[in-house]
Amino acid sequence: MQILRQTNLEALEKARALGPEGVIALLGKRGLEGRGGAAYPTAKKWKACRDTPSDERFVVCNADEGEPGTFKDKLIIRHNAETLVEGILVAAYAVGAKRCFIYLRGEYDYLRPRLQEQIDDVLARAKMEGVTIEIVRGAGAYICGEATALLQSIMGFRGNAMAKPPNPTTQGLWGKPTVINNVETLACAAQAVLFDDWDPTLRLFSISGNVKNPGVYEFPLGVKMSTIIDVARPEKKLKAMSFGCFGGIMPVDENMLVTPETICMEKCQHGAYSIIFIDETNNVVDVAYSIAKFYTYESCGKCTPCREGTIRMLNLLKKVRTGKAVRKDLELLRELATHVQDTALCGLGQTCGNHILTSLEHFPKDYEAYMKK
Amino acid sequence: MKIKLNNSEVEAAEGKSLLDICRENGINVPTLCYHASMTPEARCRVCLVEMDGKLVTSCSTRPREGAKITTNSERVMKARRLNMELMVPEPTCRREDDYEVCQTYKEVGMGNARFLQIKDYKPDLGAAVIRDNNKCINCGRCVKVCADIQGVYAIDFASRAHNEHVTPYWENNLADVACIRCGQCILNCPVGAISERSHVEEVVAALDDKDRHVVVQIAPSIRAALGELFGMPAGTLVTGKTVAALRRCGFAKVFDVDLGADMTIMEEASELLRRVENNGTLPMITTCCPGWILMMEFFYHGLIANMSTCKSPHEMLGMLVKTYYAKKAGINPKKITVVSIMPCTAKKFESTRPELESGVDYVLTTRELGRLIKMRKIDFAALPDEEFDPALGISTGAGVIFGATGGVMEAALRTAHFLATGKELEKIEVDEVRGMAGVKEGSIVLNGKEIRFACAHGGANARKLMEQKGKYHFIEIMACPGGCIGGGGQPIYRDPEVLRKRTEALYSADRASKLRRSHENPVVKQIYKEMLGAPLSDEAERLLHTHYVKRDRF
Repeated sequence: MQILRQTNLEALEKARALGPEGVIALLGKRGLEGRGGAAYPTAKKWKACRDTPSDERFVVCNADEGEPGTFKDKLIIRHNAETLVEGILVAAYAVGAKRCFIYLRGEYDYLRPRLQEQIDDVLARAKMEGVTIEIVRGAGAYICGEATALLQSIMGFRGNAMAKPPNPTTQGLWGKPTVINNVETLACAAQAVLFDDWDPTLRLFSISGNVKNPGVYEFPLGVKMSTIIDVARPEKKLKAMSFGCFGGIMPVDENMLVTPETICMEKCQHGAYSIIFIDETNNVVDVAYSIAKFYTYESCGKCTPCREGTIRMLNLLKKVRTGKAVRKDLELLRELATHVQDTALCGLGQTCGNHILTSLEHFPKDYEAYMKK
Repeated sequence: MKIKLNNSEVEAAEGKSLLDICRENGINVPTLCYHASMTPEARCRVCLVEMDGKLVTSCSTRPREGAKITTNSERVMKARRLNMELMVPEPTCRREDDYEVCQTYKEVGMGNARFLQIKDYKPDLGAAVIRDNNKCINCGRCVKVCADIQGVYAIDFASRAHNEHVTPYWENNLADVACIRCGQCILNCPVGAISERSHVEEVVAALDDKDRHVVVQIAPSIRAALGELFGMPAGTLVTGKTVAALRRCGFAKVFDVDLGADMTIMEEASELLRRVENNGTLPMITTCCPGWILMMEFFYHGLIANMSTCKSPHEMLGMLVKTYYAKKAGINPKKITVVSIMPCTAKKFESTRPELESGVDYVLTTRELGRLIKMRKIDFAALPDEEFDPALGISTGAGVIFGATGGVMEAALRTAHFLATGKELEKIEVDEVRGMAGVKEGSIVLNGKEIRFACAHGGANARKLMEQKGKYHFIEIMACPGGCIGGGGQPIYRDPEVLRKRTEALYSADRASKLRRSHENPVVKQIYKEMLGAPLSDEAERLLHTHYVKRDRF
């Protein structure tokens, strides 16, 4: 796997030779995009931060991997933390930051002691004056994986998403320009700087669900779905797949080529390439229900559509599952899901209706099965 | 910069929000969580408009050159309506206060009630401020005003998703936390989920009781605001009508707290001069504001020695009603009920403080008085102007301006100058302490000694001033923005300009007064002659002064 290649502080050495501007230009050339879900060009983000005048800048590594079905960052932290730390140092060097943070998911706290040792070790060898890396432990809120909520949490406030602008890149931690990158992005940044043969199309896939071989795999973009299914080895006939939670529930198409475009065309977010396979023994409404339960628990509660909409959608699904729903309820469910998507403040709210819209569209029979009961 | 607004091209200043641009161009966009004096949080999602095909909140979005904005498409209207529906599933607009949410409903258009109310919170029934989270729509304005403008941080959000709710820390009741009862949260609540603890019923019962002699006294700032509850423009002075209305409500005597203010000035100015002459603890800080007293006791209790020991004006007057007036009128003080009409919810708390023996039995806010007048079916606008009862109803312009920030300072300086030098101030207006600046300062020379003074209004400004308090001899603090005219018991306003208009009304009342200095008040002179002797005499100390305590925040 490319992601496990170690850079051994050579990336940092090369970065110093290139100079901050050179590093950013190189990453732009290599085509590194954010791996947290939004696929924003990393070079552009770093440049915006670097170009904002300020006496202080920050680099934050988003290790709050909370998306259900996604566990690729854990792999990197466990098996290639040195490269991750080096990626953070490269970012700090490129944007001119001194204080860096790793916001570690609360449930990953068991990884912390070892990660701390590796940070101390790399910092001691890197000899970057005044640069520190602090681990901030999340307290379990999914919303804190959202950039603005994450920053609020680091500053000790309630983890609420904030209205943009201002973007964190220009006004982040304590109002200062801040770069926030995903674990995979930062590890890739170190590798992309160092290796000339670094391949920007390789992505980490978290595979789970009704399969024999769940786990993290590396595939190039454009991989055929049948290839993924072959590796994952489902036990029964597959019925649906869910791209994370927010990606929506889709019918399995073995010939589909997985690229951001093909997935987006189906109204789904490519996100962090996590696929949950669902086989024919399941009713998709049950899947949608458990995803809805997740969102109803994890919405931060700040904006109206997400706060009030998630519970209403869950209640409607409950009604469907108890066989009490009528056609009008499905219409209301669709209206709510579209509405929440349209008007919510942050990424969580804007995607938390996807599973309902897609399941209504692709699996109407599953809904009817419940309504006939 | 040019943008396209509903098919017409308009010129928009760079950096302005869509909401401002729409309003400048005469397009009304409904809002709920937005307040002109706070930074937008974009919580409620009611101010949605369409920008380049995407729904965005107009309060927090700045358009780009050439953006296409639609404010009235069916998509926009539907989205606004659904958000309202989600927030207030079962609208219960109690019309009396004309809650902002009712107005928003009119602008958005009410949808069918398709959702059931799922909130089930226990109301928090405090002694001064009460909260009912079942009505709350989580707009967050109370949280923001408490933190950013008042600097108190008594309430915040807790829990997530649909369980998110506003609460004092650790799910306590408001009465058990470091809340200063200023009531600014009430002014900012668009749905009436927070309100004052009403004492209207108790007052009505007292009025109906033939055995009781019910006396009412009104604070300076009531006269500049009460009219707003009856459809008059902000800044209309309604002193005479208020007196007439109170008589028709059944109060036996109507007294003026301005007289209490004059008494306060006599005591406070004397106290200041005594501290300056005897090297007492300085700066001396005013104590007319019960919200500030609570703030000091919670957060700055190291300053107890700096606080003037004077009771607040209505407490002084309440005491005088039950002593001086009772004796003169030959009424048993035990049969007298004193009701204060105050712009303030903290006064409700103040009258229950064990540290001061209170002469006041009930405190009604301006809004409660409006309710009482409406309950009694009195046509307020048609009332004639009447005068206060002279026994305790003669006052000066110095007492009137107590209602505005800087007013206590100005009144005290007018009298302190006379008491110290035997001469009047050359210019009666003290311009340094007027206006809406958060912290104001100035200085005056008394008998060759420079006295430096400063005022702050709003808790956050008070905190700023406390950082540099050592520079001054005399400090006035009012907990509410604008002083009492912006108090938590006043009619609810949306436009900050209202405060300026109310202030101007008070200053015009001062200008129109024949007597403009507290020491010229004939009743004050009489009270000292017949009962108290002189300011700070033992009898004055006993009746008109108090002490303070340290309060634990947790």
